[in-house]
Amino acid sequence: MVAFLLRRLSTALVTLVGICAATFVLIHAAPGDPVDIYVASLRSTSVSPEIARTVRRIHHLDRPLVIQFGYWLRDAVTLDFGDSILEPGSLRDRISRALPATVLLNSAALLLALLIAVPIGFLSAMRPRRFLDQSSRLIFFLLYSLPNFWVALILIRVFAVRLQILPLFGMTSDDFERFSTAGRVRDLALHMILPVVTLAYSQLALFARFARVSLLEETHKDYMQTARAKGLAERSVMIGHGVRNAAIPMISLLALTIPYVISGSVVIEKIFAWNGIGLLFIDAVLSRDYPIVMALAVVTAVATLTLSIVGDVLYAWADPRIRLGAGEVGI
Amino acid sequence: MLTMRQHWKRRLGVAALLLGASLACSPPEHRQAPPPPDAAQFDDRTPEDGGTVVLRLDTDIRSLNPVFINSVYEKEVASFLFDGLLELDQEGRVIPGIAKSWEISPDGKAYTFHLGTSTFSDGTAVKAADVIFTLNHILHDSPELSGAFEGMQTAGTRAIDDQTVQVAFDKARAGQLLAFGTAILPEHIYSKGDFAKDYAFAVTGNGPYRLLRRTAGKEVVLQRRGDYPGKKPHLEYVMFKVIGDASVAWDALRRGDIDEMELNSEQWTRAQADAGFQREIDLRRFYKLGYNFIPWNTRNPILADKRVRQALSMCLDRKSIIQHVYGGTARVITGPFTPDQWAYNPEVPPVEFNPAAAKQLLSDAGWRDTDRDGVLDQNKLPLEIRMLVPSGSRTSIEQAQIFQDSLKQIGVKLDLEQLDNATLIGRVTQGKFEATFLSWDLDLDPDLYALFHTDQIPPHGQNWVFYSNPEVDALLVQGREAMDQKQRTVIYQKLHQILAADQPYTWVLQESVKWASNKRLRNVKESRALGPFFWVPGPRDWWIPTPFRKRELSASR
Repeated sequence: MVAFLLRRLSTALVTLVGICAATFVLIHAAPGDPVDIYVASLRSTSVSPEIARTVRRIHHLDRPLVIQFGYWLRDAVTLDFGDSILEPGSLRDRISRALPATVLLNSAALLLALLIAVPIGFLSAMRPRRFLDQSSRLIFFLLYSLPNFWVALILIRVFAVRLQILPLFGMTSDDFERFSTAGRVRDLALHMILPVVTLAYSQLALFARFARVSLLEETHKDYMQTARAKGLAERSVMIGHGVRNAAIPMISLLALTIPYVISGSVVIEKIFAWNGIGLLFIDAVLSRDYPIVMALAVVTAVATLTLSIVGDVLYAWADPRIRLGAGEVGI
Repeated sequence: MLTMRQHWKRRLGVAALLLGASLACSPPEHRQAPPPPDAAQFDDRTPEDGGTVVLRLDTDIRSLNPVFINSVYEKEVASFLFDGLLELDQEGRVIPGIAKSWEISPDGKAYTFHLGTSTFSDGTAVKAADVIFTLNHILHDSPELSGAFEGMQTAGTRAIDDQTVQVAFDKARAGQLLAFGTAILPEHIYSKGDFAKDYAFAVTGNGPYRLLRRTAGKEVVLQRRGDYPGKKPHLEYVMFKVIGDASVAWDALRRGDIDEMELNSEQWTRAQADAGFQREIDLRRFYKLGYNFIPWNTRNPILADKRVRQALSMCLDRKSIIQHVYGGTARVITGPFTPDQWAYNPEVPPVEFNPAAAKQLLSDAGWRDTDRDGVLDQNKLPLEIRMLVPSGSRTSIEQAQIFQDSLKQIGVKLDLEQLDNATLIGRVTQGKFEATFLSWDLDLDPDLYALFHTDQIPPHGQNWVFYSNPEVDALLVQGREAMDQKQRTVIYQKLHQILAADQPYTWVLQESVKWASNKRLRNVKESRALGPFFWVPGPRDWWIPTPFRKRELSASR
């Protein structure tokens, strides 16, 4: 187990550096230069070339790409991702403000989607092609096909404009600072309802279908037949044996889904003025603000790699037949 | 000074929200705002102090240090926090600000300002040394403002006494006075620590408001200064709400969460047809200084010939574009000035839509379809032009398609290439383009030196069309050096005429600003040149009658 972890960690580290290098090259190769964009956005007709040069020098933009990457890597190992080219203020502060906002929103949406979809998926598998199976399939796929920005605007119109029972946008009310703790939780929860619903509904189809297929695959396996032969009721065969085993592939699915929880949703964050990673990232890419793009790439890559390792470990823990690492084969 | 504003442009959206979000969270009996009396019928002759106005920002601000700000939103917020040495009135004329009077030396090189009784929000008086401190920082640190103080002499620029400042320049420049609208910073505070980083949101200004709080990505809240020595504004709080999405902002305006915003053509048309909307919201439309244009890269062998550029301009059906793309909310322009500027030459006619005459002109220039492929050619070179279109701009794409269609009919092939804004700017600033869609925001002074003088060809300046005409060069220099406005008018009207004939740009149209504000806001006026903000009194005269007030903000934090 320890050997496995060490090996996985070292591969992950190499992968991480690779991802960083690739992102670095790609974002620098994208046409358009942050200083040009900055200068073009200014109101002055005679922008001093001196100042543009200074900005380039501070951010090492006047050096060859390999050297720039070296500078970046040197700072990044100490978790110093530099300063934004366009904006004053610490980049680390901005990320540490945006990250919790995004994680909160997306994990709530993921949880909601799982709570609805997985039980329905399992129930559908127990009685395939019956009413629940067919109707949930129809509804989930219908939802899946709806564009989320459109649904967001419809929800806003109905709940925030017509009925005026939910806030229109933002993460908190104007007077948030003055609320009691309970008031704050309530306020935040109210603001989360519409974006969470918008983010969750399209994931229902995937999770429900996945849960259904996982359980169906177990249905005819020998151990299930054995259980039935022992005279167990179908219900306890399914729940006691089938569901437990069908949950294992769900772990992999989750490990692959969770990184999206961190990377955020640009469209939803923009519509609901939710100040998260998605908005930060898209603004940075569009203005070629290299340090922000790189910092977010690292955050997302680290999360993805970590979760894939955690996923493997959980997998082994949940299913003792799986042995990790070549050294342990056959034991 | 001019600004390149791409078509995806940040709108000068300005709006206001009040307890919108918090309404939803109050107990049900308070959910509805108290039924306001009919907004239009209330007596609005006597302004009352107090109340909160909520303005919209469609992107968050990055800094409130006047030396570093550049977006229109940052300027808008800063205009409440800082007074300039000089200010502008509704007509865009220079009026006293912190400086109660000023003199310009006969050679036009030295400016002397006499300061009035202005104070910073920490109670200290604005002194001549603060002006010098600020000007030095602008000159050395400000990418945006340093250009306006080009040629400022550090030696001749000094505080004569606490109330008197002298600023000296290498040479006289006609539009120089307008640069002194810049904010003044207190030296005793801003000289400590890191000027670039520490004062982005730690503001000590001399304007009528102080910064109460700013929450990144959410809001900026300002409170009226009780100790402001000038004429106090009426509104107690000014709140800026960040709302990126235009549809959400529209909903917020309808709900009364924000008090104003700029509308796009589509929203404008919808609002025009909605009587219920107009009962609560005032709609107004005005032209600011700025225009949309198609720059032609005159280094391109095809586009170097001005007859080709003229012919292309004749194929742009601007009336149809104004009608169909802008819903009639724009107007044709004839050259580099707008009808609201004194430099405008009313004699210059607009280029008429006339494909037949364009075809004749091209034929005179040697462009004929010799190989019968439907595209004109000359020496085996087809008349084919590649136009870059900002992919985020629906209006640019539609205009480009209308243009493409008209050109096709006379045998000119226009290829459209959609690019994201960053890439497009990169291509334009490096001269790697043939044509595109851009827009300028103009400064009050009509100096065009930076756009059309040969010296300003990249990488030195913003003459991105590589235009070079010795006669124009000479006029541009005379225009910025002549101190007499009558003389300058003659020069600029001449320039208007030459540039319109040469068509380094196809001057397309002037888009109007379509602005909506809640009727509870009283005494709202706009300036033709500047819009609702950036002039005095401007928003300082706005007020809200007590029955229309929503909940007061708390002054805590």
